[in-house]
Formats: sequence, C-alpha cells, structure tokens
Amino acid sequence: MDSFLSAFFSGTSQGAIYALVSLGLVLVWRGAGVVNFAQMGQAMFTTYIASQLIQNNYSYWSAFVIALVSGAILGAIVDLGLMRPLTSRKNSQLLNSQSMRTTIPVIASLGILGVLKALAGILWAGEERGFPSPVAANALTIGNTTLAITGFDLFVIGVVFLTLVLTTIFFTRTGMGLAMRASALNPEVTRLSGIRVGSVRTLSWAISGTASSLAGLLVTPKTNLSPNTLDLLLIVGFTAAVVGGLNSLAGSVLGGFIVGYVIAFVNVYSAPENVFLAILVFLLLALFIRPQGILGTKEVRRV
Amino acid sequence: MSKVKTHKVIGARSTRLAIIFSLFIILLSMQFGPYNQYQLANISTLLIAVLSITLLTGASGQISLGQGAIMAVGGYSSALLVTKLGFSMWIAFILAIFVSALFGLFLGLAAARLSGPYLAGTTLVMALAIPSIAIRFESIFGGDIGFTVDYGYPPNWLTNLIGEISIEEWSLYVVLPFAALALFAVLNLSNTRSGRTWRAVRDNEVAAALAGINIARTKVIAFVCASALAGLAGAIYGFRGLVGPSVYSTDLSLLLLTAAVIGGLRSIGGAIFGTFVIVFLPDLIERLTKALALPETISNYLPALLIGLLLLLTVIWNPRGSAGALEHIRHARHSRRH
Repeated sequence: MDSFLSAFFSGTSQGAIYALVSLGLVLVWRGAGVVNFAQMGQAMFTTYIASQLIQNNYSYWSAFVIALVSGAILGAIVDLGLMRPLTSRKNSQLLNSQSMRTTIPVIASLGILGVLKALAGILWAGEERGFPSPVAANALTIGNTTLAITGFDLFVIGVVFLTLVLTTIFFTRTGMGLAMRASALNPEVTRLSGIRVGSVRTLSWAISGTASSLAGLLVTPKTNLSPNTLDLLLIVGFTAAVVGGLNSLAGSVLGGFIVGYVIAFVNVYSAPENVFLAILVFLLLALFIRPQGILGTKEVRRV
Repeated sequence: MSKVKTHKVIGARSTRLAIIFSLFIILLSMQFGPYNQYQLANISTLLIAVLSITLLTGASGQISLGQGAIMAVGGYSSALLVTKLGFSMWIAFILAIFVSALFGLFLGLAAARLSGPYLAGTTLVMALAIPSIAIRFESIFGGDIGFTVDYGYPPNWLTNLIGEISIEEWSLYVVLPFAALALFAVLNLSNTRSGRTWRAVRDNEVAAALAGINIARTKVIAFVCASALAGLAGAIYGFRGLVGPSVYSTDLSLLLLTAAVIGGLRSIGGAIFGTFVIVFLPDLIERLTKALALPETISNYLPALLIGLLLLLTVIWNPRGSAGALEHIRHARHSRRH
C-alpha cells in the first residue's frame, strides 16, 4: 500500500510537469503545425538564466518570473526568426514536397536544440548544478504518520493546477484565446474575419515557451541542471501529447498525467532502467490503438 | 527495350562513381598520417549511415531521428556473432545487414502509418530506448561495458603485397569496400524504378496512389533498404573498438541527420560532403581553439555550436544543402551564357 501511494503521488506531481511539457508541444502544433523538438532546449536555457540570477543573489521568485518571461521571448524569437521565414518560402522546391513541409521544421527545431545546448555549455561550462526549490523536499507528516508526498510535490501540483486554470480561462473567456482556437481550427477563415493570424501564431509560440520554461523550473530541483537534463522530458512530453491527442489541449494535459502514472508505477513496481522501454512500448501501443489520441480528432487530409 | 538500356547505363555510372570515390579516399589517405587515415575510415563508415538518411528522408520523405538505434542493432548483432558464435568479422558484417533489414521491416510497418512529426518523435524515443535494452538485458548484451571488438590485423597476403601497414590504414581498407558498395547500391536504387516510386510518394501521396503505387509498401521497402545500410554502418562503426550503448547515442543520430541536411538531403555528392564536414570540422576547430588558447568550455562546445548554426543556416537559406547551392550556381552561370 505504501509503495502504491508513493507511486501515485510521485506520478501526480511528475505527471503535472509532463502535462505542462505536452501542453507546450500541443500549443505550437495547433498554432503553427510544427512539433517543436527544441522546446526543452529553450526550457533548459531559461532555467540556466534563473539559476544564474539566483547565484547573483536575486530572490527565487524574481528569478522565477524572469525565467518565465524569457521563455516567452525565446519562443517568440524562434517563431519570428526561424519558423516564419522557413514556411513563407513557398517557391522552395523542397517545401513543395508534401512530406518535406512537415519534415523541414522538425530539422530546424533540432538545429535550435543543438545551438541552445552548445550555447549553454559555453556560457555555463556545461557543469551539472543543483537548482533550488522554494519549498523543502521533506516528506510531510501529520501527527506521527509520514505521508508519501513531499511539500515540493504539493507545490508542483499547486502551481500546475493554477496554470491549467488560467490557461482554460484564457482559451474560453478571452478574445485572444478564442482567436488562437479559431486560427488553429481554420486559419483561412480566421484571417478573413480580421484576426492577425501571424501574431496569433507567434503568441502560441510564446505561451508554449512559458509553459515549458515553467516545467524546467519545476523539474530541475529533483534532477539537477545540465545542458542535457531536459532531453528526456521532451520525449516523455511528446509521448504524453500523442497519447492525449496532438491537436487537443485538454488531451495533452490528460496524456501528461497518464504517462506520469505509467512511469511512476514502472519505477516502483519494476525497475528504473525499464522506463525508456516502457515509454517506447506505451507510445507504440497508443499509436496502434488510437493514433489520433484519446481526445484528439482525426486529421482531415487536404488534397 | 529502352528501359533495359537505361539500367545498364546507370549501372555503369554508379560503378564508376563508386570506384572514383574509393580511389579518391585512397589517394587522400596516402597524403596523410595514421590519425587522418583513421578519420577517413570514420568518414567512409559514417557515409554509409548518412546515405541511409539520403535514401529514407531525401528520396522517400520519411524522417528518422533514430538511425543511431538501427546502427546499434547492426553493431550488436555483428558483435554477438563474432564474440559468442565465433563468426568471422566479414560474415558478421554481411549478416548484420540482414538482421537490421529485418528490424527495419518491423519498424517500417509501424512507420508507414505515421507521418512527419509523429515519425520523428517515435524514432527519437526509439533512439533512446534501444540502447537502454543493452543495459536492461546485461547478460546478453554486456550492459554498460558492451563488447570490445576490432578489425584485427591485416592478413599476410596483403602485407606481402603492399608491405607493412598501420592498423589505421588497415581499418580504412576494411571500410572502403563497404562504403563503395553502399554508394553503388544507393546510386542504383535512386535512379531506377524504385527510386522514382519513392520520390512520387514523397512529393504527393494522393497523386502517387492514383498512379497505381502502393503507398504503404513503398514506404516499408524504403525503410528496409535504409535500415540495411544503417545496420551495416553500425557494425563497421562498432568494430573500431567498442560496441556499447554509449557508442550509438542520440547525438550520433542527430549528427548523421545534420550531415545529410548540410550536404543536401537529395544528393549523394551532398551526403559525401556533409560527412566530411561533420568529421573534419570539429578537428579543425580544435586545432584553431588550441592555437588561439581559448578556454576549455569554449573549445568543448564550439564544434556543436557551429554545426548547429550551419544546420540552421542551411535550413533557412538553402534547404537543398550545399549540393543544391552548387546546382544553383551552375544553373545561373549557364543561363547567363545564353
């Protein structure tokens, strides 16, 4: 029972982080038709910024906010500086090919990932360093019984829950959020109704950058920070996004928690070295059983 | 009738190019010392893997971020054949081709259902998961340590023929026939019916299906061919010294893709050029950073930074790679003359 509870709680708090990563991926996929493999590279970079600020005696929370803002800026830069010029080259022979239109942005995002990792290595010596958490990571106790959940886990779950509520309000109650949903659904009609589809697109990159930057800040207290630490998170986030549905925001969050539980239970009941294999098997199963994801809709092929 | 004729001509052309490449590498190796001969052997090995991407992504339009994992399949199967079953290295290399082709068949069956980003993500997960199998099943695959294997010593008849040669030169002679064979195969494949079929599927699936092409089958065949090449490359790459999980890393997979893109995804000459870049550029930079006495953090990460930037610049300004740029220049000069 104890191991079940500890797997459940760690699955919830890790799943919350995976949900953020997966949400970031889905936002950019819906908004720009790109799966951003550089996403956790961006998060790694902003987490290093925060870590640098904390070393220079800034408070945790100011570093936290600056990291989120720089995550948004970095996301917007990637869109404006790279992805937009890339897809606007309509006359390029390579982009006329159906399969290449989705492949080239993937390659570009891998380029960004490589550059960001190398830059972080040069700027911060590529050393593995710890990252502080605002809440102690001790197991909570009520009376004499020790619970299987730490204060930090609760903090993570709280922050992610708050983020998800704010995101939901943004997408259902604000004009900008509705514009984003509209242009994901049908960019042509959205443009005709007077919405700047380009800015909406950049905004989805920025929000995705913030979400993944938050994920970086929440995960590094447990894993330490190095240019490569967040690579695994991208893989897990991608699996979560596919499981939940690459074009569904709610699905991405659901997928994040599901994958969180899968990994936590494999960790507790099997062995940590089985995690990679479990992710691969789980991803392949999801792709075979329900390729569009749990909450995703089947993509309509345009001829 | 005319079809048979073109086949013959193409066969002659690819034989010629494969021989020219081998002679070029041998001539180049004669100018260099052992270290650069080792690098040339490296280039010839990695070229086989880059060619697998030229086939898979360039010709058939399927992206794979996990070629390193398929290389691992080839590497481990040949290492197991040699160390556990006592096969000769050469036979193990040939069998590795078949094992990885079989692996590619299963992979291709799954991949044919996936498009663009799905395929990219799935192969990336695979790139991480396959090497972890080696650690999980330590008793079979040797865990973290892996297998120590090498090309052995040059046979007597060769040393009698050309005199004593260094281990580095011998490794080059082991690799080169396979690289020439791979070049020959890829040139033939891409210029014949199957290559044209792949390109049709790549550019427009609906049109290709209307022309009577079986889309799924075409994609699977491309995957099998590319996996066979990657597996061969992995076997040869492992026999440089070590077959282990660290050898076939995700970084290797991404580096190979970078080479293919920088050179030009659709060009075989581009694949050769790209492979030269990824092998020699880090060397060049290291020499430069030593000469300038730059701090270690910069010299460690500068090659990765430059290669990443090169990839980005290629994708933005010249998605067809250096081969495309060359063609563009030639075309411009041609049209100016008229």
